[in-house]
Amino acid sequence: MWQIMKRRMSPLAVTGATIFMIIQVIANLSLPRYTADIVNKGIANGDIGLIQHYGLIMLGISLIGILAAAGNVFLASRISQGLGRDLRNDIFTKVVNYSNDEFDEVGTSSLITRTTNDVLQIQNVVMMMLRMMIMAPITLVGASFLAYQRDHQLTTIFLYVIPIMFIVIGGLMFFAVPLFKRMQKLTDALNLVFREGLTGVRVIRAFRRDKFELNRFDTANTNYTNNALRVYSIVAGLIPLMTLIMSGTNVGITWMGANLIANQTTQTGNMIAFMTYAMQILFSFMMLSMVFVFVPRAQAAAVRINEVLNLETKITDPAKPVSLTDEHISLKFDHVNYRYRSAEKLALTDINLSMQAGQTLAIIGGTGSGKSTLINLIPRLYDVESGAVEVNGMDVRQVSTAALRDQISLVPQKALLFKGNLRDNMKYGNENASDDDIWKALEIAQAADFIKADQGLDTVVEQGGNNFSGGQKQRLAIARALVKDASIYVFDDSFSALDFKTDAKLRQNLKEDPKMKEKIIVIVGQRVSTVASADDILVLDNGKMAGYGSHEQLMQDSPVYQDIVASQIRKAGTENG
Amino acid sequence: MAKDDTKNAPRANHGGFGGGGPRLGMPTAKPRNFWHTTARLFSYMRKYYFGLAVVLVFAITSQIFQIRTPKILGEATTEIFKGVMKGTAQQKAGIAVSRYPIDFDKIKQIILIVIVMYLLSAVFSFVQQFVMTRISQRTVYHLRKELKEKMARLPISYYDTHENGDIMSRAINDMDNIANTLQQNITQFITSIITFVGTLWMMFTISWKLTLIALIMIPLSLVVVGIVAPRSQRFFAAQQKSLGLLNNKVEETYNGHVETKTFNHEAKDLTVFKSENDRLYQSSWKAQMISGFIMPLMTFVNNLGYIVVAIVGGTAVAQGTITLGDVQAFLQYTQQFSQPITQLANLANTIQQTVASAERVFEVLDEPEMSDATVDIADVPNDDRKIAMDHVQFGYGSQDLLLTDYNLDVKPGQMVAIVGPTGAGKTTIINLLERFYDISGGSIKLDGRDTRNMSRDQLREHFAMVLQDTWLFTGTIYDNLKYGREDATHDEIIAAAKAAHVDEFVRQLPNGYDTILNEEASNISQGQRQLLTIARAFVADPEILILDEATSSVDTRTEMHIQHAMGRLLKDRTSFVVAHRLSTIQDADNIIVMNEGSIIETGTHQQLLAKKGFYADLYNSQFSGNADLALG
Repeated sequence: MWQIMKRRMSPLAVTGATIFMIIQVIANLSLPRYTADIVNKGIANGDIGLIQHYGLIMLGISLIGILAAAGNVFLASRISQGLGRDLRNDIFTKVVNYSNDEFDEVGTSSLITRTTNDVLQIQNVVMMMLRMMIMAPITLVGASFLAYQRDHQLTTIFLYVIPIMFIVIGGLMFFAVPLFKRMQKLTDALNLVFREGLTGVRVIRAFRRDKFELNRFDTANTNYTNNALRVYSIVAGLIPLMTLIMSGTNVGITWMGANLIANQTTQTGNMIAFMTYAMQILFSFMMLSMVFVFVPRAQAAAVRINEVLNLETKITDPAKPVSLTDEHISLKFDHVNYRYRSAEKLALTDINLSMQAGQTLAIIGGTGSGKSTLINLIPRLYDVESGAVEVNGMDVRQVSTAALRDQISLVPQKALLFKGNLRDNMKYGNENASDDDIWKALEIAQAADFIKADQGLDTVVEQGGNNFSGGQKQRLAIARALVKDASIYVFDDSFSALDFKTDAKLRQNLKEDPKMKEKIIVIVGQRVSTVASADDILVLDNGKMAGYGSHEQLMQDSPVYQDIVASQIRKAGTENG
Repeated sequence: MAKDDTKNAPRANHGGFGGGGPRLGMPTAKPRNFWHTTARLFSYMRKYYFGLAVVLVFAITSQIFQIRTPKILGEATTEIFKGVMKGTAQQKAGIAVSRYPIDFDKIKQIILIVIVMYLLSAVFSFVQQFVMTRISQRTVYHLRKELKEKMARLPISYYDTHENGDIMSRAINDMDNIANTLQQNITQFITSIITFVGTLWMMFTISWKLTLIALIMIPLSLVVVGIVAPRSQRFFAAQQKSLGLLNNKVEETYNGHVETKTFNHEAKDLTVFKSENDRLYQSSWKAQMISGFIMPLMTFVNNLGYIVVAIVGGTAVAQGTITLGDVQAFLQYTQQFSQPITQLANLANTIQQTVASAERVFEVLDEPEMSDATVDIADVPNDDRKIAMDHVQFGYGSQDLLLTDYNLDVKPGQMVAIVGPTGAGKTTIINLLERFYDISGGSIKLDGRDTRNMSRDQLREHFAMVLQDTWLFTGTIYDNLKYGREDATHDEIIAAAKAAHVDEFVRQLPNGYDTILNEEASNISQGQRQLLTIARAFVADPEILILDEATSSVDTRTEMHIQHAMGRLLKDRTSFVVAHRLSTIQDADNIIVMNEGSIIETGTHQQLLAKKGFYADLYNSQFSGNADLALG
């Protein structure tokens, strides 16, 4: 928590907020003194002028108090919300520059939560701190001092009251906190069953298990309700007990006060003022106990945020980057080994390949065989452990990542479009692209038809591109990659959501496009039909090369490839012959 | 997707130490029909009217005691003061007084009364809250149960036309809102009103003149709320909007981080983010400041009242028209006075929001349910067709008809393949066979009987499904297999697991069949999940099978297992298969070819090829590639 706040919060502003708060508290605390004076001096002596005099002073103090409060709220709002803004900026800047390694390590959805919800948590707690939490101790100290000054003997009452209050609050917390924690789990369980009822509605109905689901939900619902009954029954005791303690304190003060007054050791006005201080002291204690509830929550958020801020990305630009041109287009993997951060096993072992302009490389293999990992090494989304990846004759680690990525156009496995319109999405990789360029790319990607049927390039794209079907999204992502002017075009299993016909047509278009003829195309696929026509096919099995060559060669000498082919076209031969 | 929606949904707080409800000045969702919905919500508590009466009486009693006591305790102060005055008078008269003549017996008496009243007030307040907890939690329990039961009676079309995230937010966030309000705010509402009225009454009994002075605070408070609240709401709305946009931006950029990087978009994204973030800051600090300002302002108004009362009251004491104890009590009341006003203003917001929540829940409860109406179509005796589709007409909702006059006969043991490009609506057939949707014309018959003339359960008894979406519930593997048929024996389940290649991998898991499948499915692979759904269908042992062949990428070994298991499952059963594999299509007795939602061709593989239509085209585009391979 501290690490996050320091440097991001102006010490001057925090001091200012604290000073304003001190003024506010002093103002609040001095009011009872004047009330006492009104009683002791004004009323006792029947001096109406004095009463009015003190009244005016009180009004002035009140005014100072509210002005100080305004100052405090102003600063507290700016500090806390400003901290949130700066934190978000820092996290976002950090995360945008993360390599895939860090994304894998922390997890995308967790990163999103850390940037949004966790920061909000911190922001809220800091706001509370700058207001309530510094108010409590200041009030506590001030009120105790004043109360003691008023009457030493009456102060002894706190020796009884404060321990009782601690025991009561502590006791309730002791019983309630585990139940509250359990409540969170039971809430999750309840939500889970309900959510599964939504996602699995067809299966549930097909297997006629509605009753089973109702019972399952009822169990979760009953567990939740029983726990809630227990928790809230305990909480129900909190307010009455607190009220009782405070009222009891007043009664005690009256009784003790009466005796002291009778002995002429204190005055009536002192007793009244003392009561007011007593209430303020007890309130401060209650507020302080809130600290124990809120701070741990913020602390947890702070730890998660710090993890992000302290995680350094491994992929950085070289100090003196070499320039990269597209004069000699080539792609080379030279004895490449790769290992995921802190993994025991190599994800890729001794990968060698070499491609020239105009060639197509296809990569095939089962899930987890390392296909995506391999192609992610090309734009340096990961770094090799040993060996080297060379693009256009340069080791990717010798050039700046920006220059490198200018030469590579990648279509990721999961197509994702951005909110906006289609034109902006298509220009994502090439700001200077004309509408003609875009339409050409759309034609190649077999996406022109449904875009024409819609609003053309002005078609609205919703977040994530969710207004398009999976196949349409994929084709648009392909078109977007084609609009970009690069040396190497990489398609990571980008044809999987396409039917065979569209897939075949698209590959045909790619092959025939004059511009693409001078580039390198890398295709990752699951279907034999998708990869068969490539110049070279790389067969991956458990991160190792299980074959590299043309389809014909592989049919001869790669058993893994033969297996894959056999599983996919079991009867094609007999049917044809 | 739905999973994520609800995970990101804000969690309503659970009361207790945190305190519930929106703060004053936050924007509120307005209910459309406040009183109607409120009445309906209260009707759920009908059973507990006695309990509610107890709550009401105890709340009032407790609060009255709480309000009365300062005045009684004030009498003690008056007693003390009297003693002091007497003492000083004696001193002035020259009598030496070592101890002021305070009437301690009387004070003792007063204190005893006060203690009893405080204790009773505490007990009543506890009982009241305790009973209310029971009423509210039980009420919400029933409401949740009713919603879940309703979900079971809603047609699939409801599920298909409503986002899971939206339904979840009603079932969770809205339900939580209702629970919190019933739990805390109703009694708060009652006590606030009593405190307000009671305090006012006590003040009147002490001094009507002072009361009138204190009352000036009400319009002042209202002015404060009236000036500040709308401004605050405006900034909060702006803040909420910016926050939403910013969250979208974060989500989009992080999810698309590969795109961001490979297209060199980091700097541009950062600029957009920063400006959006700054906009959020501008509205949020103002929103925080203005809403944070309400409290001090109210305190100031309160202090103002306090001072005026102190001056006027002090003067009156000096003049002897009022006792000191009364002024002291009055001052305490003055401090208490503004509290219920602020609280009621807060509650008005919370209650409105809750009623809006209740409205959203009731909206679901009022949705039309599935119809059990039968049709006047006679059974066909001794029909040799297992499934018969006669002149079927169908379209989704109010959209155009997708099927206008569709006919298909399926004999027992036959396999029907359903093919077509992505998004061609291949699930429509499944929807109709399982009666997830009802047809709008014609008839679908099972064993000669129109499926609408049997209950859905009766119909579905004949079917089992294996879908690509491998839905399994969070429970043990064993229970998930048993899901297929409730009365399946242990041996049957193990046999099914063996037949589906499930047994092998399950035995390797540390907890075997007792392994609990978690929601994220992180403990078993996607392929293994697929195998489990096949085993589940084995357990069901249906006459008719509906199968969606997997296209999702699994490793070669599992892929082979899946194919093998599906082959076994299909044997000797009537089946409908959404086909992605050539071999399946060729083996089928009938092929349904779909495109853009409609069935465009039906026939055997040879018939369809001969037709040289859409199917032939589709088939050749795929087959030509493979033919090369086969030659190679």
